[in-house]
Amino acid sequence: MRHAWTIAKNDLSLRARDRSIYIIGLVAPLALAFIFNVVFGGGISDVGETITFEVGIANVDQGPIGAAFEDVIDSIASEGLLTVTTFGSAEAARTAADNGTVGASFILPEGLSDAVLGGADATIEVVGNVDAPTTTQVASSISEQFGIGVRTANLSVATAMASGALSPEQAFAAAGEAGTATPAIEVGSVEAASRQLDSAAYFVAGLSIFFLFFIAGMSITSMLEERREGTLSRLLAAPINRQSIVAGKSLASILIGLASMTVLVIVSSLIMGADWGPPLGVAMLIVGAVLAVTALMTAVGSFAKTPEQAGNLQSIVAVTLGMLGGTFVPIAQEGFLAKLSLLTPNAWFIRGLGDLAGGGISAALPAVLVLLAIAVVAGSIGLVIAGRALRL
Amino acid sequence: MTNSRVLEATGLKKSFGDIHAVRGVSFHISVGETYGLLGPNGAGKTTSISMVSGLLQRDGGEVLLDGQSMTTTSLGPKQDIGLVPQDLAIYPDLTARENLRFFGHLYSMPKAELVKRVDEVLEVVGLADRANDRASEYSGGMKRRLNIGIGLLHRPKLLVLDEPTVGVDPQSRNAILESVEHLSSEGMAVLYTTHYMEEAERLCTRVGIIDQGEIKAEGTRRELVELVGQQDRIRITATGVQESALDELRRLSGVHSVSPSDGSLELLVADAGAVLPEAMRVLGSQHAGVSSVSVEEPDLEAVFLHLTGKALRD
Ligand SMILES: Nc1ncnc2c1ncn2[C@@H]1O[C@H](COP(=O)(O)OP(=O)(O)O)[C@@H](O)[C@H]1O
Ligand SMILES: [Mg+2]
Repeated sequence: MRHAWTIAKNDLSLRARDRSIYIIGLVAPLALAFIFNVVFGGGISDVGETITFEVGIANVDQGPIGAAFEDVIDSIASEGLLTVTTFGSAEAARTAADNGTVGASFILPEGLSDAVLGGADATIEVVGNVDAPTTTQVASSISEQFGIGVRTANLSVATAMASGALSPEQAFAAAGEAGTATPAIEVGSVEAASRQLDSAAYFVAGLSIFFLFFIAGMSITSMLEERREGTLSRLLAAPINRQSIVAGKSLASILIGLASMTVLVIVSSLIMGADWGPPLGVAMLIVGAVLAVTALMTAVGSFAKTPEQAGNLQSIVAVTLGMLGGTFVPIAQEGFLAKLSLLTPNAWFIRGLGDLAGGGISAALPAVLVLLAIAVVAGSIGLVIAGRALRL
Repeated sequence: MTNSRVLEATGLKKSFGDIHAVRGVSFHISVGETYGLLGPNGAGKTTSISMVSGLLQRDGGEVLLDGQSMTTTSLGPKQDIGLVPQDLAIYPDLTARENLRFFGHLYSMPKAELVKRVDEVLEVVGLADRANDRASEYSGGMKRRLNIGIGLLHRPKLLVLDEPTVGVDPQSRNAILESVEHLSSEGMAVLYTTHYMEEAERLCTRVGIIDQGEIKAEGTRRELVELVGQQDRIRITATGVQESALDELRRLSGVHSVSPSDGSLELLVADAGAVLPEAMRVLGSQHAGVSSVSVEEPDLEAVFLHLTGKALRD
């Protein structure tokens, strides 16, 4: 292990002199994330007519507020911006959002109208699919707008009157109450209930893990380059285990990967206003992702015989997993692709960040564990195969 | 006797697919000895020493370093070997000092000792004044010397040098040979491969002549020469040599043959030093006019030619 560290240190000092590491680790992911965020990250107006968002709705409320909300959704749908699937239960809507059948679901809970009209706090829950951040954001802003609307007396009264559920007197009473300082619907609770990752954070996350593959790939390519340059024979002649050579090279990649991801999170928070969620949870996910990706790329690269071969193999894997895992576009929203995406560390990292934003650190733990499991399995394979493959 | 044996290699075998690179090579090296593997390109020198150094898994045979078996995974014996690979094995982006430090750490050298030893080695290989420049800025000869320096850094019991002078300017080459002689005089055992006959003759206590994966003959230079029955050759350019003079020359003791050709004579003799004055006396008394004399002592080149039917360098 001491020798692995010696090799890692040497590798770090060699790689630090290579400009490409800064481009792959910092400049490229940030620049692309910035562009993606400007193009795709805004509200409805930016996305415009060409895109339709798939949302689900479960109206268990059966009251006037629920009916009014459905009207609002219908009217947006009639402009072609939304396609709406109606679900019979909150559970069905939640499941549909979770597995990507819809991008996001609105859940209007039982007693919503009563609560709102009675002046109590109430929540329209938005459940978003982690791979559909834009849809989720759209859904959130709709419910947010609705919440603000309900708070004004006008809408409140009109809704109540239109539904015919209230007498004018009751409506006026409700309007009066709605006009007071107590908001009828907590916007804050809408946000807290959603499993949504901030769009800037989403794009930086996806791109940084994509580029992480290339940082990780350097562990094997630098080993193969040492073979070509002749220094590998010295490492093999030295009284150290072959595995500590692989481990040292991987360790260097892990440290660079951690540094790159950490800097990206901090910089994107500062200049793009990205909201990543609780730092401890983000840190756990980053560690998991870096370990998983490094282990995976070491295992993949260990089948190569030349640096070029390793580079090609690793690019194919990086791009394939990036596409599946939702790095470039959140394509994997449903069905087979969604299931397939669960084989990628990319998807688990992004899902973990979404869970973290929605449910705190405990919600992100499953994703962290999956990433660590990938790291252990791929890492063991990689160490053994790459260690064996190490020869002159 | 066995105690002083630093290296004992027996029956080494290695094939790459259909190529039988090494087919049963054996040799041993004792403390203070410099053993040469002399053979042309492709003879199996690098493959042999790669097995000796634990870089390459052998198909058969045994390597004992100080009595311990060497394999690709044995760490103890590897600590005892300093390898200087045929191809440069240095990091061009690091300075000489950084290169030495890194490899010193891999051999678990204690920090204080390492610092001291790095300076010593820089001195030995003549790079002290360029120690803090990147190796990529060095001349070919300087890179070679750094390559050697790394090999002897951790004071190995056996220093293995694989054709260390290939592609080196004469000055650096001489410096390299001198430092090998110096190390040997300090008692370090050296395994030296080369296809330069003169290097083997100058440096090596014993030489193994290797060709096509086999050691064809082994011994000191004298032993090898005697083994193949080689003789000194005296060439005399002279006029007016009578038949009687030739007869008298043939009767001299130690002369095996005398063959005249127009204007010159060639004598094959056991010892040129003993025969030459006698031969001159005979020619003088027979009134032959001698214009030049040359003596050729047999060398390893001739031995190699005799053993394999081909020249060392082609
Ligand atoms: N890794 C290898 N794969 C295939 N053939 C090899 C390999 N290494 C050496 N050889 C072959 O083995 C023979 C001996 O090579 P080598 O030991 O390098 O000779 P030398 O060092 O004496 O020049 C040559 O024919 C060479 O082509
Ligand atoms: Mg060779």
